[in-house]
Order: sequence, then C-alpha cells, then structure tokens
Amino acid sequence: MNGFVEILDRLYQMTAISNIIEQPSFILMYLIAFGLLYLGIVKKYEPLLLVPIAFGVLIANFPGGEMGVIQADSMGYVTLADGTRQIIWDMPLHEIAHEFGIMNYLYYALIKSGLLPPIIFMGVGALTDFGPMLRNLKLAIFGAAAQMGIFAVLIVSLLLGFTPQEAASLGIIGGADGPTAIFTTIKLAPHLLGPIAIAAYSYMALVPVIIPLVVKLLCTKKELTINMKEQDKLYPEKNEIKNMRAVKIIFPIAVTTIVAIFVPSAVPLVGMLMFGNLIKEIGSDTERLFQTASNGLMNAATIFLGLCVGATMTAEAFLNFQTLGIVVGGFCAFALSIASGICMVKIWNLFAKKKINPLVGATGLSAVPMASRVCNTISTKYDPKNHVLNYCMASNIAGVIGSAVAAGVLISFLG
Amino acid sequence: MGNISEGLQLMLIGMVTVFTILLIVIYGSKLLIAAINKFAPEQPKAPARKADDTPVAVLEAAVSQLTGGKGHIVKITKF
Repeated sequence: MNGFVEILDRLYQMTAISNIIEQPSFILMYLIAFGLLYLGIVKKYEPLLLVPIAFGVLIANFPGGEMGVIQADSMGYVTLADGTRQIIWDMPLHEIAHEFGIMNYLYYALIKSGLLPPIIFMGVGALTDFGPMLRNLKLAIFGAAAQMGIFAVLIVSLLLGFTPQEAASLGIIGGADGPTAIFTTIKLAPHLLGPIAIAAYSYMALVPVIIPLVVKLLCTKKELTINMKEQDKLYPEKNEIKNMRAVKIIFPIAVTTIVAIFVPSAVPLVGMLMFGNLIKEIGSDTERLFQTASNGLMNAATIFLGLCVGATMTAEAFLNFQTLGIVVGGFCAFALSIASGICMVKIWNLFAKKKINPLVGATGLSAVPMASRVCNTISTKYDPKNHVLNYCMASNIAGVIGSAVAAGVLISFLG
Repeated sequence: MGNISEGLQLMLIGMVTVFTILLIVIYGSKLLIAAINKFAPEQPKAPARKADDTPVAVLEAAVSQLTGGKGHIVKITKF
C-alpha cells in the first residue's frame, strides 16, 4: 500500500500540477497566452506574429518543461541546477542547451545575439516599394517628425523611475516597428523584451483603432478633405522621374552609405533593409535571393523570433509593475508619434501654398502599410474621391528609415 | 534630475539626427533623380518582339521549349 502511495506521489511530482499549485501565478500566464491566441486566431491581430508569441508564452510557463527563457541578473549571473552560479556569457551554447533547455539555446543564439531582427528587416526591405516615396520626396520629412513620440516617452519614463536604457526601449515602441523595437531592447534592456515586443505588436495591430482616435482629436473636417491630387495639379512637381528602375537600384545603395557614415549603429537594420530592397529591384538576375529573403528566410526568422520572444514572458519576468508601465507608456509613445506627425503637417500648412492632408503626417510612424491603408479609409470617408494612399506611403516608408535611425542613436548613446 | 537632462539631450540629438538623415536622403535622392534624368533618361527597353508573335507561333515555341524540341502542335480546335 505504501509503495502505491509513493508511486502516486512521484507521479504527482513529475507532472507540472505540483508546481502550479505552489505558484498559482502560472495560471495567470496561461490565461494571458490563451487571450493572445484568441486575439491572433479569432480577431486576426497580426496572426503571423501573435500566434507564435502567444504559444511561446504558453510553453514557457510549464515548470519543468525548460522552455522558458532564463534572465541573467544585472551582472550576467545565472543559477545552475546544482545551485552554483555562473556568468552566462562564459557558457558555450551547447552547455546552455544542456543546462536550461532548447529554448534558451535558441534565445541566446538567435535573439540575444541580435541576429533575427536584421534578417526580418531584410525581408521587409524585399517587400517594400520605395516608388511612392521617390515620387513624393518632400513628404518623407514627416517620417522624421513622427519619431518625436519615442523621445517624449523616454523622458516621461525616466521621470517614472525607469533606467535610461529601459526608458529608451519603452520609447522605441512609438517607432511602431516590431523588429526595430526588438533590436533596440535586446541591446539596451533585454529583461524587458517580452512585454515590449508584445506591446509593440499589439499596438501595431491596433493601428486601425489608434490612428482614427488621434486624428479625430486633432484634425478638422476641412483639413481631412484636402485633396492631394488636386494640390499636385495646382502646383505640379518640377522633377519627373524618367528612369525609375535606375533610381530604385541606386537608392538603396546610396541610403545605406549615407546612414552608415552618420549613424553606424543603425546599419544592422537599415543596411539589411536596403539590401533586401536592392535584390528586389535588380529583378530577374537576383530573383532567387529575393525569393529566399522575402519568403523562406523571413518566415523561418519570424517563427523563431515569435516563439523566443514569447518564451521570455515567464511568470516571474512578466507579472510586475514594469509590464504595466510598458503597456501604458507604449500606448502614449504610439499616440504621441502620430500626433507629432500631424502637428508637423499643420505647421507646414501654415507656411506652404501647397497644402498637405494631415493624414500624411499621421502615417509618419512605421507600421507599413497598415497605417497608410487606415488613413486612406479615413480620407475616403470624408470624400470618396480623395485617395491619399500613395502620399501616405511616402511618409510611411520614410518612417521605417526614421525609426531605425532613432534606434541607432539610442543604441550608440546608451548601449 | 541628471537623468532628465540626459533625456532632453537624447531627444535633441535623436530628433536632429533623424531630421538630418531624412533631409540628406530627400535632397540626395533629388540629386540622384536629376543626375539620372540627365545621363540615363531612357528606361531600358523591353527586348524587341520578333515579327512572328501570332498566338499559334507562341504556342508552338512553348511546346517546343517544354518538350525539348520533340513535340509539335498538330491540330488546334476550338471548344
């Protein structure tokens, strides 16, 4: 009889149930994972990313499963199974895999090394057409104005007691660019990676809600009915592009060179973005590279990125006040970025004869191309003939470059 | 308080850098467009079509390509 009880007891210890009863916070993490899965699968909020992230959260929170990413303390120390402490940077990858499981191996090899975000950026570049921006170069400047939210939130977060590195990672959510936010956070405050990635991607998914909200608060109907095409006819552009193909091929090479000279720390992002774009624009000669960058490689990178980011959200790392601060601060960064883009257009319109629809400013944060599509929906609601999509894409794409440069500045000053 | 001044400093440096880079990109691209308009204004032409581009000839060429020259179109019927 005693033997039977012992077997039952050992079975109980083997399952995760004993740990979960000891530490009920795990249950909260499962609920969060289920909630995120629901948003991704049913509500279709960025399912390509939210589903892997949410599943990562789920599998990371089974004690004994060894799928949760362990965070080293500020000195880089981790505690091994036998109770000894070791600096994680001194551990070879195979030892990390052996000690902490396969998810930590993936995390330290692919994420902590900063490998995946640039690879995803290469895919983004291969899927981006700089044509709309090249046709409306002036509008690209609003992609710079919309980075204001990043720095405004950085300052507020400092006031709230975040360290400069944490504040910068929080602010970069306002860049509305997943890979950029992740890249910056890895470099500056890796312990916040999970909540920041979740906040960045959730708010990007909520672009169709956030942009109309800010636009409604800041813009009048008269401003929203400014028809860019008519303005173009009234004040035509002097420069017409005669050989778009040549411009599109030289553009990524030139931008990479310029950015590399001025902000070298932004090169991993901007350089890979432009490389991806170059192999797209060259055409059939590099078709195979383009296919890999925009399909296979990017999809593989997305799977690993999503799962690993989700796995950083273990109960002890996620359930604290910092996470709440990130959720609120991230929203402010996002809204402020949209607002500062709109304000810059308003200031511009005070002085320029050729008026610009403030929606073009609202798309200055990245979130390509959803922000532009949302703004086009808003403009056509006021005037069904007023399509601003192409103009919004100009500031939208410039916003990708803008937020990558802002990230570069933050990394080089705080890293 | 030192933190705040650091934050303001970062904001200034960051925004100036972002604006500068995008201004350089904008004016650099304008220069690029002007230069290309001047020196290479022609879009590369699509390869000139051969005289024989009737549907039947195109089909014949496709079949020949796919079968390595062994297959030929014998008959085409309309459904």
